[in-house]
Amino acid sequence: MRNLFLYTFLGLAVSVGAYVSFELFGPKAPLPKYAQAGIGGDFSLTSVEGEINLSDYKGEIVLVYFGFMSCPDVCPTSMGVMATAIRQLSEEQQQKVRGLFISVDPQRDTPEELHAYTQYFSNRIFGATSSKEQIDAIVKQYGGYYAFVEMEDSALGYTVDHSARLYLIDPDGHLADILAHDINPVELHEKLAAYL
Amino acid sequence: MKFLFPALLMSASLTQAADLTINDAMARAVPPTAKISAAFMTLINNANTDLAVVSAESSVAEAVELHNNTMTDGKMKMRQVNQIDLPAKQTTELKPGGLHVMLIGLNKALVEGETIDLTLNFSDGSSEALEIPIQPIEPMMQKKHEHKH
Repeated sequence: MRNLFLYTFLGLAVSVGAYVSFELFGPKAPLPKYAQAGIGGDFSLTSVEGEINLSDYKGEIVLVYFGFMSCPDVCPTSMGVMATAIRQLSEEQQQKVRGLFISVDPQRDTPEELHAYTQYFSNRIFGATSSKEQIDAIVKQYGGYYAFVEMEDSALGYTVDHSARLYLIDPDGHLADILAHDINPVELHEKLAAYL
Repeated sequence: MKFLFPALLMSASLTQAADLTINDAMARAVPPTAKISAAFMTLINNANTDLAVVSAESSVAEAVELHNNTMTDGKMKMRQVNQIDLPAKQTTELKPGGLHVMLIGLNKALVEGETIDLTLNFSDGSSEALEIPIQPIEPMMQKKHEHKH
């Protein structure tokens, strides 16, 4: 009888030990390389819904894009690519994908205007902005670039030079991929589908 | 056979730029809150002499300017240009990602299916008044470099 207790105890101890060591030292899903390098991460912005955080969208794939509404060409093209790729997903899948257009030009672009601008392309693309300081921090955090450039002879007054990339955030909130602005909708659709 | 643009037929009665063909002119349909848009087209200078677009006008925008986009080191830059050169016997494309006519301070929404007026002024003093369609630029669901043989 004493032996039975002893064996039961030993058996349990071995099982618990194996479980604990597997949890501590066993294989885990590795962090994407960008997250490992400290690129990406959470941020706060202002949208028509008030303050939003990237972490609010855990469980969704978020496509982050830095742009501005006075951008005639690349920004609407990128939004078109995003919208086309999203449209190819099933209705259920679309609800798990969110485009996020971050305006680096809060002086000209209001959250209301950004909302109307992004929803024009897709009801799964949303707009937001913030203070210059906050935007600077987020752009840096994501390894992006933008700069205001004076245009003396232009009615625009100034324009914005910017890196035009799509940042793919996985459902855990980690930066998983950085894509070229002119990625083909088919390729983007394949990237999205891989997480759904 | 290329679709002959109605504006070119209409423009016969207007001041005509010498020996110039304008194809596929369009203004980009933009979201209702957009304050700017761009017009694109293909200009073919059939003459033996160089020409240039020096300015443009439209009733839908406060200002119309000539701009160029360049992508350097992954950075998109847009700059105003003084003129768009149309070298003799050459085709010059105004297209997304490059040269374009910039419509700044839109006073109406550019809705797909409608048209806008656009006048181009040339270096030889001539002008071309166009009525161009508003179209969306929608990327196609096609793979790059995919050729069917």
